Amino acid sequence: MSPERVLFAFVIVLALTLNVGFVVGDLRDPTQHNVYELFGAIAVSLVATVMKFGDRSPLGSTMLATSLVADLQLIASAATWGLLASGGETLTSGQSATVVSLAIGALVANVVSVVLLVIEVASLRR
Amino acid sequence: MSPASGARSRHGAFILLRRLRHPLVLLIVVYAVAVAGFTLVPGVDPGGRPWRMSFLHAFYFVSFLGTTIGLGEIPYPFSDAQRMWATVSIYATVIAWLYAIGALFAVLQDPLFRRLLHESTVDRMVRRLREPFFLLCGYDDAGHRVARELTEDGIRVVVIDIEPARVDAADVDDHRVPVPALLGDASDPKSMTLAGLTHPHCVGVLALTGSDAINTKIALTARLLNPDLPVLCAAHDHAWHPRMATAGADHLINPYDTFAERVAISLRTPSLHVIYEALTTQAGTAAAEPLRLPRGRWVLCGWGPFARTLRRQLERLEIETTAVGTELDDSCDASNSVRGDPSDATVLREADIEHADAIVACTEVDIDNLAIVLTAKGIRKELFVVARQNQRRNSMVFRAAPTDLVMLSGYVIAGEVLRNVRAPLLSAFLRRARDHDEAWAAALLARLRESVGAEVLESWSMSLVPAAMPAACAALARGEPLSLRRLMTRPDGSARMVRAVPLMLQRGNERQMLPSIDAPLVEGDQLLFCGRALARSRMRGFALTRALAHVAVVDAAIALEDAP
Repeated sequence: MSPERVLFAFVIVLALTLNVGFVVGDLRDPTQHNVYELFGAIAVSLVATVMKFGDRSPLGSTMLATSLVADLQLIASAATWGLLASGGETLTSGQSATVVSLAIGALVANVVSVVLLVIEVASLRR
Repeated sequence: MSPASGARSRHGAFILLRRLRHPLVLLIVVYAVAVAGFTLVPGVDPGGRPWRMSFLHAFYFVSFLGTTIGLGEIPYPFSDAQRMWATVSIYATVIAWLYAIGALFAVLQDPLFRRLLHESTVDRMVRRLREPFFLLCGYDDAGHRVARELTEDGIRVVVIDIEPARVDAADVDDHRVPVPALLGDASDPKSMTLAGLTHPHCVGVLALTGSDAINTKIALTARLLNPDLPVLCAAHDHAWHPRMATAGADHLINPYDTFAERVAISLRTPSLHVIYEALTTQAGTAAAEPLRLPRGRWVLCGWGPFARTLRRQLERLEIETTAVGTELDDSCDASNSVRGDPSDATVLREADIEHADAIVACTEVDIDNLAIVLTAKGIRKELFVVARQNQRRNSMVFRAAPTDLVMLSGYVIAGEVLRNVRAPLLSAFLRRARDHDEAWAAALLARLRESVGAEVLESWSMSLVPAAMPAACAALARGEPLSLRRLMTRPDGSARMVRAVPLMLQRGNERQMLPSIDAPLVEGDQLLFCGRALARSRMRGFALTRALAHVAVVDAAIALEDAP
């Protein structure tokens, strides 16, 4: 067990948990989705991406790819929210569904990341 | 793309990303904290109502904060709490940026990263080559000259050398076409592959490094990785010749042998030496006067492979020699040799320099050679002086010294390489010409002088194949007789012939010296001509674009073509 690996797993799992925390709730109700949670998810996801830089194993490259997908989806989600809510307006239920469903897409990518992490650890044990 | 080179070029990008991991994480964290802080710190709008920044505004503000220290407080003037947070954010983001940029420059300056970048640049240049090219290993005197002359002919060259200074020289030298130069070990198969050994357009390997062992390894690598590739190897020591031949070198070039043979040729058949020089040097003409070498006793100073091979050639011509050297080994006949420093006048006198005709200064140190030359000339003015020059940078002093012949092994090697590359038949011709006597050579020289005059003599090969000579091959396919006379006659009906002399005809493995111009030709024949450069371009022009001269022309009186 190295501190580096702990940090690595911590960041990847944190990206997933924050993402889950954001999307859980009614898709159409903007009050059930916290903007800070989305912001945290983006920041942690970006850090996770950078931490995967330079890993030359096939699993590492796949993890970098899934992480980039998560970043893209989360940033799209945040940008949509920022644009739709400009001038302090609250989101309509349809707009809210768009923002949250983009984040759900990122959730799938983050789940794949964690699965790959588990596979990597399991193959190390063997 | 070869797998090895692909992996290396990706490597560079990975190193860059891996080294930038920490600064990038720091930047993201600092930005995240600053942005989150701005959304949390309370502010006041112009109406006096409490107000908090949205994420969009916060991100916008932090983005220009670190890079420009602000465009002003937007959208409303900040509260004291916001100003405090902005101050903290300014210091944090500026420090994070400085760290990131510093790390980026550190990686760009990193020797490993630079080497990988260099390799991937060369790899890309080599992979993009779409014309035939030669892989040139070693860029010292010989390699430099070969590269210069080949590129002047528009032939592509890829250079590989282990010395950074020489690779830089290859980059800086003003070549007519770009020359990719790889800094790498030519005895490492990976570097060789990177430089294009297995590239489909690679047409030959020129192993011209200073080390015989490395040249042998290059030949072996080329033979195993790309068996059809011709390999030219430079060799300095005779002990390596059999090993190089076994390793798969197609041509061995030994500068000492080459030079000693040339000395022997000019002693035995002076006219042939003029032809030889005219055909093999850049500005050689048939009008040059034969070099008159003395047939009296020669004093060879500095025992080594060069003195040994020269002595053997001279003894074959029954010319007396005396060897002088500090280290005379068993291969040196003790009866006519003197042990001692040849730059010492007393040692030279002991070698009876007063009654010798020629002196050869051939130690491995240029300064010693010059000292020998000056000492010997001081004792006997009439001496014919041959000096060996080891480094090209000493050319100026050698030109100023009282020498009759200078042997720079790099140039001798380059000359041989270029001859092999430019006109492979020429080497065969020159080898065979050595078997003929002075009368034969004098007759050929007279013929060359008559047809070419004092113009620069060029040689060129032509293959009677449809791709190179479509009109001639079509005529053969129709069953028409074809002779050299017809090939050399201008197709414009003037019945004049180009000013060129056919030197050799190769049919299969059979070679015919100085073929008759009325001999019938068949498809697949290889022809070697020499003549003026104008004749060369005319003949190539006829062969490729124009129709053949009409058969009737052959019977007409032949008038030599006048000056252009």
